[in-house]
Amino acid sequence: MKHRALAIALLFAPVAIGAGCASGSGDMSTQISFGADVARQGLWREAAFRFEKAIAANPKNARAHNNLAVALEATGDFARALEEYKKALELDPQDNYIRRNYARFAEFYTSYTRTTGKAAGAS
Amino acid sequence: MRPKPAALARRFPARAAALLLLAACAGCSSVSQVRLRLPLKPRLPLRGNEKIVLAPFLIVAEAEKARDKRLQNVDLQAEFHRFLKRQIEKKTKLEVAEAPADLKLPTQSLTELGRATEFWRSLGSTTGGEVLVSGSLEFKVEDRSGYKTEEYVSPINGQTYYRQVYVEQSGFLFDIVFLVFDGRSGEKLLQDEFKDFRQSGGSQRSDELQGLFENLFSLENQILNLFVAREREADRYLFTS
Repeated sequence: MKHRALAIALLFAPVAIGAGCASGSGDMSTQISFGADVARQGLWREAAFRFEKAIAANPKNARAHNNLAVALEATGDFARALEEYKKALELDPQDNYIRRNYARFAEFYTSYTRTTGKAAGAS
Repeated sequence: MRPKPAALARRFPARAAALLLLAACAGCSSVSQVRLRLPLKPRLPLRGNEKIVLAPFLIVAEAEKARDKRLQNVDLQAEFHRFLKRQIEKKTKLEVAEAPADLKLPTQSLTELGRATEFWRSLGSTTGGEVLVSGSLEFKVEDRSGYKTEEYVSPINGQTYYRQVYVEQSGFLFDIVFLVFDGRSGEKLLQDEFKDFRQSGGSQRSDELQGLFENLFSLENQILNLFVAREREADRYLFTS
Protein backbone atom coordinates (compact mmCIF):
# COMPACT_ATOMS: atom_id res chain seq x y z
CA MET A 1 0.00 0.00 0.00
CA LYS A 2 2.78 2.40 1.02
CA HIS A 3 4.80 1.43 -2.03
CA ARG A 4 1.84 2.15 -4.26
CA ALA A 5 1.48 5.69 -2.81
CA LEU A 6 5.16 6.33 -3.39
CA ALA A 7 4.96 5.04 -6.93
CA ILE A 8 2.04 7.39 -7.71
CA ALA A 9 3.87 10.32 -6.16
CA LEU A 10 7.04 9.57 -8.11
CA LEU A 11 5.04 9.26 -11.29
CA PHE A 12 3.57 12.75 -10.88
CA ALA A 13 6.69 14.39 -9.48
CA PRO A 14 8.27 15.58 -12.74
CA VAL A 15 4.95 17.03 -13.94
CA ALA A 16 4.32 18.75 -10.64
CA ILE A 17 7.77 20.25 -10.34
CA GLY A 18 7.75 21.28 -13.98
CA ALA A 19 4.40 23.04 -13.59
CA GLY A 20 5.62 24.77 -10.47
CA CYS A 21 8.68 26.06 -12.28
CA ALA A 22 6.67 27.07 -15.33
CA SER A 23 4.48 29.38 -13.22
CA GLY A 24 7.54 31.57 -12.76
CA SER A 25 9.00 33.39 -9.80
CA GLY A 26 7.45 33.72 -6.38
CA ASP A 27 6.98 37.42 -6.99
CA MET A 28 4.83 36.79 -10.04
CA SER A 29 2.74 34.28 -8.17
CA THR A 30 2.24 36.70 -5.27
CA GLN A 31 1.21 39.48 -7.62
CA ILE A 32 -1.34 37.26 -9.38
CA SER A 33 -2.74 36.02 -6.11
CA PHE A 34 -2.96 39.52 -4.62
CA GLY A 35 -4.38 40.92 -7.86
CA ALA A 36 -7.08 38.26 -7.91
CA ASP A 37 -7.96 39.04 -4.29
CA VAL A 38 -8.41 42.76 -4.90
CA ALA A 39 -10.25 42.08 -8.16
CA ARG A 40 -12.81 40.04 -6.26
CA GLN A 41 -13.35 43.10 -4.07
CA GLY A 42 -14.01 45.19 -7.18
CA LEU A 43 -10.68 47.09 -7.04
CA TRP A 44 -9.93 46.53 -10.69
CA ARG A 45 -7.32 49.26 -11.19
CA GLU A 46 -5.23 47.91 -8.36
CA ALA A 47 -5.72 44.41 -9.78
CA ALA A 48 -4.57 45.57 -13.23
CA PHE A 49 -1.46 47.12 -11.65
CA ARG A 50 -0.67 43.82 -9.90
CA PHE A 51 -1.16 41.77 -13.06
CA GLU A 52 1.10 44.15 -14.97
CA LYS A 53 3.79 43.58 -12.34
CA ALA A 54 3.30 39.84 -12.72
CA ILE A 55 3.79 40.19 -16.47
CA ALA A 56 6.92 42.28 -15.90
CA ALA A 57 8.27 39.42 -13.78
CA ASN A 58 7.37 36.81 -16.37
CA PRO A 59 6.17 38.13 -19.74
CA LYS A 60 5.52 34.60 -21.00
CA ASN A 61 2.88 33.78 -18.40
CA ALA A 62 -0.46 33.33 -20.15
CA ARG A 63 -2.43 33.46 -16.90
CA ALA A 64 -1.09 36.89 -15.99
CA HIS A 65 -2.01 38.18 -19.45
CA ASN A 66 -5.49 36.67 -19.12
CA ASN A 67 -6.00 38.29 -15.72
CA LEU A 68 -4.78 41.64 -16.98
CA ALA A 69 -7.20 41.37 -19.90
CA VAL A 70 -10.11 40.76 -17.51
CA ALA A 71 -9.05 43.72 -15.34
CA LEU A 72 -8.77 45.98 -18.39
CA GLU A 73 -12.18 44.84 -19.55
CA ALA A 74 -13.63 45.67 -16.15
CA THR A 75 -12.16 49.18 -16.31
CA GLY A 76 -13.48 49.76 -19.82
CA ASP A 77 -10.15 49.60 -21.68
CA PHE A 78 -11.45 47.15 -24.26
CA ALA A 79 -8.83 47.71 -26.95
CA ARG A 80 -6.00 46.80 -24.56
CA ALA A 81 -8.05 43.94 -23.14
CA LEU A 82 -8.26 42.51 -26.65
CA GLU A 83 -4.46 42.70 -27.02
CA GLU A 84 -3.92 40.96 -23.69
CA TYR A 85 -6.43 38.20 -24.45
CA LYS A 86 -4.65 37.60 -27.74
CA LYS A 87 -1.26 37.40 -26.02
CA ALA A 88 -2.65 34.99 -23.42
CA LEU A 89 -4.07 32.79 -26.13
CA GLU A 90 -0.83 32.87 -28.12
CA LEU A 91 1.12 31.77 -25.06
CA ASP A 92 -1.30 29.01 -24.08
CA PRO A 93 -3.72 28.18 -26.90
CA GLN A 94 -4.94 25.03 -25.15
CA ASP A 95 -6.14 26.63 -21.92
CA ASN A 96 -9.91 26.30 -21.83
CA TYR A 97 -10.47 29.15 -19.38
CA ILE A 98 -8.53 31.59 -21.54
CA ARG A 99 -10.32 30.36 -24.65
CA ARG A 100 -13.73 30.79 -23.02
CA ASN A 101 -12.85 34.26 -21.73
CA TYR A 102 -11.65 35.30 -25.15
CA ALA A 103 -14.76 33.92 -26.88
CA ARG A 104 -17.08 35.78 -24.52
CA PHE A 105 -15.06 38.97 -24.79
CA ALA A 106 -14.98 38.73 -28.59
CA GLU A 107 -18.78 38.48 -28.66
CA PHE A 108 -19.13 41.53 -26.45
CA TYR A 109 -16.43 43.51 -28.22
CA THR A 110 -17.92 42.87 -31.65
CA SER A 111 -21.28 44.20 -30.57
CA TYR A 112 -19.61 47.11 -28.74
CA THR A 113 -17.61 48.19 -31.76
CA ARG A 114 -20.65 47.72 -33.98
CA THR A 115 -22.65 50.14 -31.85
CA THR A 116 -19.91 52.72 -31.44
CA GLY A 117 -18.67 52.33 -34.99
CA LYS A 118 -15.01 52.11 -33.97
CA ALA A 119 -12.64 49.30 -33.22
CA ALA A 120 -9.94 51.16 -31.36
CA GLY A 121 -6.84 49.11 -31.08
CA ALA A 122 -8.34 46.11 -32.81
CA SER A 123 -5.86 44.49 -35.08
CA MET B 1 27.58 6.63 3.91
CA ARG B 2 24.51 8.23 2.31
CA PRO B 3 21.37 6.12 2.19
CA LYS B 4 20.19 5.18 -1.28
CA PRO B 5 16.91 6.82 -2.52
CA ALA B 6 15.28 3.43 -2.70
CA ALA B 7 16.16 2.84 0.91
CA LEU B 8 14.77 6.28 1.85
CA ALA B 9 11.56 5.56 0.03
CA ARG B 10 11.28 2.28 1.80
CA ARG B 11 11.70 4.02 5.16
CA PHE B 12 9.42 7.01 4.60
CA PRO B 13 7.06 6.16 1.74
CA ALA B 14 3.98 8.03 2.98
CA ARG B 15 5.93 11.17 3.86
CA ALA B 16 7.63 11.24 0.48
CA ALA B 17 4.29 10.85 -1.28
CA ALA B 18 2.79 13.73 0.70
CA LEU B 19 5.71 16.02 -0.07
CA LEU B 20 5.58 15.29 -3.75
CA LEU B 21 1.83 15.88 -3.91
CA LEU B 22 2.35 19.20 -2.12
CA ALA B 23 4.83 20.15 -4.81
CA ALA B 24 2.25 19.19 -7.39
CA CYS B 25 -0.36 21.44 -5.77
CA ALA B 26 2.06 24.37 -5.76
CA GLY B 27 2.35 23.97 -9.49
CA CYS B 28 -1.44 23.84 -10.00
CA SER B 29 -3.39 27.02 -10.54
CA SER B 30 -6.87 27.68 -9.32
CA VAL B 31 -9.48 29.70 -11.09
CA SER B 32 -12.36 31.77 -9.87
CA GLN B 33 -15.24 33.26 -11.74
CA VAL B 34 -15.88 36.99 -11.51
CA ARG B 35 -18.83 39.00 -12.70
CA LEU B 36 -18.16 42.19 -14.63
CA ARG B 37 -20.56 44.97 -15.43
CA LEU B 38 -19.74 46.02 -18.94
CA PRO B 39 -20.92 49.33 -20.35
CA LEU B 40 -23.03 49.37 -23.47
CA LYS B 41 -22.76 52.66 -25.29
CA PRO B 42 -25.97 54.20 -26.63
CA ARG B 43 -26.69 53.41 -30.26
CA LEU B 44 -27.66 57.01 -30.97
CA PRO B 45 -25.17 59.84 -30.50
CA LEU B 46 -27.34 61.92 -28.16
CA ARG B 47 -26.47 64.54 -25.55
CA GLY B 48 -29.01 62.99 -23.22
CA ASN B 49 -31.55 65.82 -22.84
CA GLU B 50 -33.09 65.96 -26.31
CA LYS B 51 -36.79 66.08 -27.01
CA ILE B 52 -37.99 62.80 -28.45
CA VAL B 53 -41.27 62.57 -30.30
CA LEU B 54 -42.97 59.19 -30.54
CA ALA B 55 -44.71 58.90 -33.89
CA PRO B 56 -47.09 56.06 -34.75
CA PHE B 57 -45.64 52.68 -35.67
CA LEU B 58 -46.84 50.53 -38.54
CA ILE B 59 -48.76 47.56 -37.19
CA VAL B 60 -47.77 44.46 -39.10
CA ALA B 61 -49.99 41.81 -37.54
CA GLU B 62 -53.41 43.13 -38.56
CA ALA B 63 -54.21 40.00 -40.58
CA GLU B 64 -53.08 37.84 -37.71
CA LYS B 65 -55.28 39.86 -35.38
CA ALA B 66 -58.35 39.01 -37.44
CA ARG B 67 -57.47 35.31 -37.28
CA ASP B 68 -56.73 35.12 -33.57
CA LYS B 69 -59.53 36.58 -31.47
CA ARG B 70 -57.22 36.86 -28.47
CA LEU B 71 -55.20 39.58 -30.14
CA GLN B 72 -58.27 41.69 -30.84
CA ASN B 73 -58.23 42.94 -27.26
CA VAL B 74 -54.70 44.29 -27.53
CA ASP B 75 -54.23 47.87 -28.69
CA LEU B 76 -50.62 47.30 -29.68
CA GLN B 77 -49.94 50.89 -30.73
CA ALA B 78 -51.22 52.38 -27.46
CA GLU B 79 -49.64 49.75 -25.23
CA PHE B 80 -46.27 50.05 -26.90
CA HIS B 81 -46.29 53.86 -26.83
CA ARG B 82 -47.22 53.82 -23.16
CA PHE B 83 -44.45 51.34 -22.36
CA LEU B 84 -41.82 53.22 -24.37
CA LYS B 85 -42.77 56.62 -22.95
CA ARG B 86 -42.74 55.35 -19.38
CA GLN B 87 -39.39 53.58 -19.76
CA ILE B 88 -37.66 56.53 -21.42
CA GLU B 89 -39.02 58.97 -18.84
CA LYS B 90 -38.06 56.71 -15.96
CA LYS B 91 -34.60 55.71 -17.07
CA THR B 92 -33.28 58.63 -19.10
CA LYS B 93 -33.24 62.42 -18.96
CA LEU B 94 -34.76 62.73 -22.40
CA GLU B 95 -37.97 64.69 -22.84
CA VAL B 96 -40.65 62.50 -24.39
CA ALA B 97 -43.66 63.77 -26.31
CA GLU B 98 -46.31 62.04 -28.37
CA ALA B 99 -46.92 63.03 -31.97
CA PRO B 100 -50.32 64.71 -32.60
CA ALA B 101 -53.14 62.14 -32.28
CA ASP B 102 -54.41 62.83 -35.80
CA LEU B 103 -51.01 62.29 -37.41
CA LYS B 104 -51.17 59.86 -40.34
CA LEU B 105 -48.09 58.13 -41.62
CA PRO B 106 -47.46 58.88 -45.31
CA THR B 107 -47.10 55.20 -46.24
CA GLN B 108 -47.66 51.68 -44.94
CA SER B 109 -44.31 50.49 -46.27
CA LEU B 110 -41.45 50.42 -43.80
CA THR B 111 -38.87 51.03 -46.52
CA GLU B 112 -40.70 54.08 -47.83
CA LEU B 113 -41.28 55.32 -44.31
CA GLY B 114 -37.52 55.31 -43.82
CA ARG B 115 -37.12 57.46 -46.94
CA ALA B 116 -39.89 59.99 -46.19
CA THR B 117 -37.39 62.69 -45.28
CA GLU B 118 -39.76 65.57 -46.00
CA PHE B 119 -42.49 64.14 -43.78
CA TRP B 120 -40.10 63.71 -40.84
CA ARG B 121 -38.57 67.15 -41.26
CA SER B 122 -42.04 68.65 -41.22
CA LEU B 123 -43.02 66.65 -38.10
CA GLY B 124 -39.80 67.76 -36.43
CA SER B 125 -40.50 71.42 -37.09
CA THR B 126 -44.15 71.28 -35.95
CA THR B 127 -43.48 69.34 -32.73
CA GLY B 128 -40.04 70.71 -31.90
CA GLY B 129 -38.77 67.15 -31.64
CA GLU B 130 -35.04 66.75 -32.16
CA VAL B 131 -35.36 62.99 -32.48
CA LEU B 132 -38.36 61.24 -34.00
CA VAL B 133 -39.13 57.59 -33.36
CA SER B 134 -41.26 55.34 -35.51
CA GLY B 135 -41.02 51.93 -37.15
CA SER B 136 -43.13 48.80 -37.18
CA LEU B 137 -44.60 46.48 -34.60
CA GLU B 138 -45.60 42.87 -34.97
CA PHE B 139 -47.20 40.84 -32.22
CA LYS B 140 -48.60 37.43 -32.90
CA VAL B 141 -49.34 34.06 -31.46
CA GLU B 142 -46.85 31.71 -33.05
CA ASP B 143 -47.30 27.99 -33.23
CA ARG B 144 -43.93 26.29 -33.23
CA SER B 145 -45.30 22.79 -32.79
CA GLY B 146 -43.68 20.11 -34.85
CA TYR B 147 -41.87 16.81 -34.96
CA LYS B 148 -38.62 16.49 -33.08
CA THR B 149 -36.12 13.63 -33.28
CA GLU B 150 -35.34 11.99 -29.98
CA GLU B 151 -33.28 9.02 -28.80
CA TYR B 152 -35.11 5.93 -27.69
CA VAL B 153 -33.54 2.86 -26.04
CA SER B 154 -35.53 -0.27 -26.72
CA PRO B 155 -36.38 -2.18 -23.52
CA ILE B 156 -36.42 -5.37 -25.59
CA ASN B 157 -32.96 -5.40 -27.13
CA GLY B 158 -31.33 -2.42 -25.38
CA GLN B 159 -30.43 -0.79 -28.71
CA THR B 160 -30.74 2.93 -29.35
CA TYR B 161 -33.16 4.10 -32.01
CA TYR B 162 -34.30 7.51 -33.13
CA ARG B 163 -37.96 8.36 -33.26
CA GLN B 164 -40.03 11.36 -34.24
CA VAL B 165 -42.03 12.93 -31.44
CA TYR B 166 -44.64 15.62 -31.88
CA VAL B 167 -43.88 18.57 -29.56
CA GLU B 168 -46.49 21.23 -28.97
CA GLN B 169 -45.06 24.68 -28.52
CA SER B 170 -46.77 27.99 -28.95
CA GLY B 171 -46.09 31.44 -27.63
CA PHE B 172 -46.02 35.14 -28.33
CA LEU B 173 -43.71 36.63 -30.89
CA PHE B 174 -42.90 40.32 -30.72
CA ASP B 175 -40.93 41.99 -33.46
CA ILE B 176 -40.08 45.69 -33.42
CA VAL B 177 -38.28 47.61 -36.10
CA PHE B 178 -37.15 51.01 -34.91
CA LEU B 179 -36.70 53.89 -37.30
CA VAL B 180 -35.14 56.95 -35.72
CA PHE B 181 -34.99 60.28 -37.55
CA ASP B 182 -33.28 63.59 -37.07
CA GLY B 183 -36.05 66.10 -36.39
CA ARG B 184 -34.19 68.92 -38.13
CA SER B 185 -33.05 67.26 -41.35
CA GLY B 186 -35.58 64.42 -41.53
CA GLU B 187 -32.72 62.03 -42.24
CA LYS B 188 -32.81 58.51 -40.88
CA LEU B 189 -30.34 58.16 -38.01
CA LEU B 190 -30.83 54.49 -37.26
CA GLN B 191 -32.81 51.42 -38.13
CA ASP B 192 -32.74 48.41 -35.85
CA GLU B 193 -34.83 45.33 -35.21
CA PHE B 194 -35.51 43.47 -31.95
CA LYS B 195 -37.32 40.17 -31.68
CA ASP B 196 -38.49 38.13 -28.74
CA PHE B 197 -40.39 34.87 -28.43
CA ARG B 198 -42.01 33.87 -25.14
CA GLN B 199 -43.42 30.41 -24.86
CA SER B 200 -46.91 30.30 -23.37
CA GLY B 201 -47.31 27.86 -20.51
CA GLY B 202 -48.30 24.35 -21.67
CA SER B 203 -51.97 23.50 -21.47
CA GLN B 204 -52.72 26.75 -19.66
CA ARG B 205 -53.54 29.51 -22.13
CA SER B 206 -51.52 32.59 -21.30
CA ASP B 207 -53.04 36.00 -21.35
CA GLU B 208 -52.08 37.98 -24.47
CA LEU B 209 -51.37 41.21 -22.59
CA GLN B 210 -49.19 39.35 -20.15
CA GLY B 211 -47.38 37.80 -23.14
CA LEU B 212 -46.90 41.23 -24.71
CA PHE B 213 -45.36 42.69 -21.56
CA GLU B 214 -43.13 39.69 -21.05
CA ASN B 215 -41.83 40.31 -24.57
CA LEU B 216 -41.41 44.02 -23.89
CA PHE B 217 -39.62 43.65 -20.57
CA SER B 218 -37.19 41.15 -22.02
CA LEU B 219 -36.33 43.69 -24.73
CA GLU B 220 -36.26 46.66 -22.36
CA ASN B 221 -32.48 46.83 -22.02
CA GLN B 222 -31.91 46.68 -25.76
CA ILE B 223 -34.59 49.27 -26.48
CA LEU B 224 -33.28 51.72 -23.89
CA ASN B 225 -29.75 51.15 -25.16
CA LEU B 226 -30.79 52.94 -28.33
CA PHE B 227 -31.00 56.17 -26.35
CA VAL B 228 -28.79 55.82 -23.28
CA ALA B 229 -25.82 53.84 -22.00
CA ARG B 230 -26.74 50.58 -20.31
CA GLU B 231 -24.83 47.88 -18.53
CA ARG B 232 -24.53 44.21 -19.18
CA GLU B 233 -23.32 41.56 -16.79
CA ALA B 234 -20.66 39.15 -17.98
CA ASP B 235 -18.73 36.34 -16.31
CA ARG B 236 -14.99 35.86 -16.74
CA TYR B 237 -12.39 33.49 -15.35
CA LEU B 238 -9.55 34.83 -13.24
CA PHE B 239 -6.51 32.76 -12.24
CA THR B 240 -5.87 33.09 -8.55
CA SER B 241 -2.35 31.66 -8.46
